[in-house]
Amino acid sequence: MKKLLMIGLLSLAPLMAQIEGDFTIPYIDFPVKKAKGAATYQANCMMCHSLGYIDNQGLQSKAFWKGKVEKMMIHFKAPITDQDAKTVIDYLYANYGNGKPK
Amino acid sequence: MERRDFFKKAMVTAGSVALGSSTLEASETTHPVDDRAISPIAFPEKRPMIMYSDRPPLLESPREVFTSALTPNDLFFVRWHMPMIPKYISTNGFRVKVDGHVDKTLSLSIEDLKTKFKQVELTSVLQCGGNSRSAFHPTTSGIQWGAGAMGCAKWKGVRLKDILEHAGLKSDATWLGFNGKDKAVYSETANFIREMKLEDLNDNALLAYEMNGEDLPYLNGFPLRLIIPGTYSDSWIKMISNITVSKEKNKLLFMEKAYRIPDNECECETPDKLVEKTKPIEKINVNSIIGYPQKGSKVRVNSHIVVRGVAFDAGSGIKSVQMSVDNGETWKEAILDKEDAGDFAFRAFRCTFNPSKVGKLTIMCKASSNAGEVQPLAKEIKWNHGGYRYNGVDEVTIEVIG
Repeated sequence: MKKLLMIGLLSLAPLMAQIEGDFTIPYIDFPVKKAKGAATYQANCMMCHSLGYIDNQGLQSKAFWKGKVEKMMIHFKAPITDQDAKTVIDYLYANYGNGKPK
Repeated sequence: MERRDFFKKAMVTAGSVALGSSTLEASETTHPVDDRAISPIAFPEKRPMIMYSDRPPLLESPREVFTSALTPNDLFFVRWHMPMIPKYISTNGFRVKVDGHVDKTLSLSIEDLKTKFKQVELTSVLQCGGNSRSAFHPTTSGIQWGAGAMGCAKWKGVRLKDILEHAGLKSDATWLGFNGKDKAVYSETANFIREMKLEDLNDNALLAYEMNGEDLPYLNGFPLRLIIPGTYSDSWIKMISNITVSKEKNKLLFMEKAYRIPDNECECETPDKLVEKTKPIEKINVNSIIGYPQKGSKVRVNSHIVVRGVAFDAGSGIKSVQMSVDNGETWKEAILDKEDAGDFAFRAFRCTFNPSKVGKLTIMCKASSNAGEVQPLAKEIKWNHGGYRYNGVDEVTIEVIG
């Protein structure tokens, strides 16, 4: 049985991902700045991608963050309510903002 | 390292760079961030790298890999657009479909690709359009990459042209669309589909199943990915599952909104006056990076330093690399590696100098291509809203001690 298994494995060898079994990406717990709107921010943004995506855009203007949230809703069809969008934009500008409205 | 400290160090540089620069005028372009921390958490099949996101995975190579022409698979950068990457790909069950405006629809297994077509090996640079984006000011939209969103590997696979010939292109076939197996969380969200004009397809485009003599790592597109040498990698679809030939251009989100630069002479704009007419980024520009020394390295006076790095362009080949250690007053010719892996590959270079004075010293390296392109100084590079195509003369500042 072992011999058959070995032969089986060898015939698979030409193309075999180095990973045996399912491939899983580690979950990275990006820190969330505890501020007004943090829960709404987490709930809405983490649906589709990690918060690292947001952390690594650099500090940006209010207009930038508004544009990004709208992009998520319009182009990527994220189910974010208008009410939540406002909260998220304010949170992003307050915590990942550069102090400039535009 | 304390987890919080790690995140702080990893991200604070982007913030400190953005502060103080007006958002309504373009400020001077500087150099990409070069001191991001390596993540303590290694991703599958990878050694620890600089990590921006897990969903979807975004990993950057540390600068030291750029002392060699070939980038190791387990330090090769990673950039996905969609977070739902299949957990398991059956090597026997995998198929890449070629359909649309063709005589014959194909459904090819990896075995088919390996046995029914001519096998081709080609060494090529793979560079993200936003590589070194963090150099632009004010901070542009997009992930604030340092210089490590690129690599060079020996790819093995089948020419895309051979596969299309096998399928038989109809006389009015004009566009090629590419899609991979990664998906968004919501079914409503568009897939990361890219397309190109058939007439722009060159002989070097490959469907590659091997990278540096090994199967593609999962994170770099196992079991099959597209390679289009000489271009930015935004269209180099990973886990490629569909190639669709069409008569007309498709309306695709990721073509219309992403990876575009101003369609003007300077390919530039200012934040307060964005250029409306844009074009997709395509051919890479001449570029080079210093892999050693690193920022802040301490060396002794008279210690004979060998500066090492890589240079590359879109395929005309590197003519020369020059180094300056006196802020660009004088330049010394670097030695290019003898191992010529072809014109699409990294060309490794080395240049020696002997530091004679104590204090800070800045090393600059400038590449010139056979096509006549010369790397501009960082400050000469003009802004674009996507932070694409940065190729400023690299600078590394070290400390010479007594």
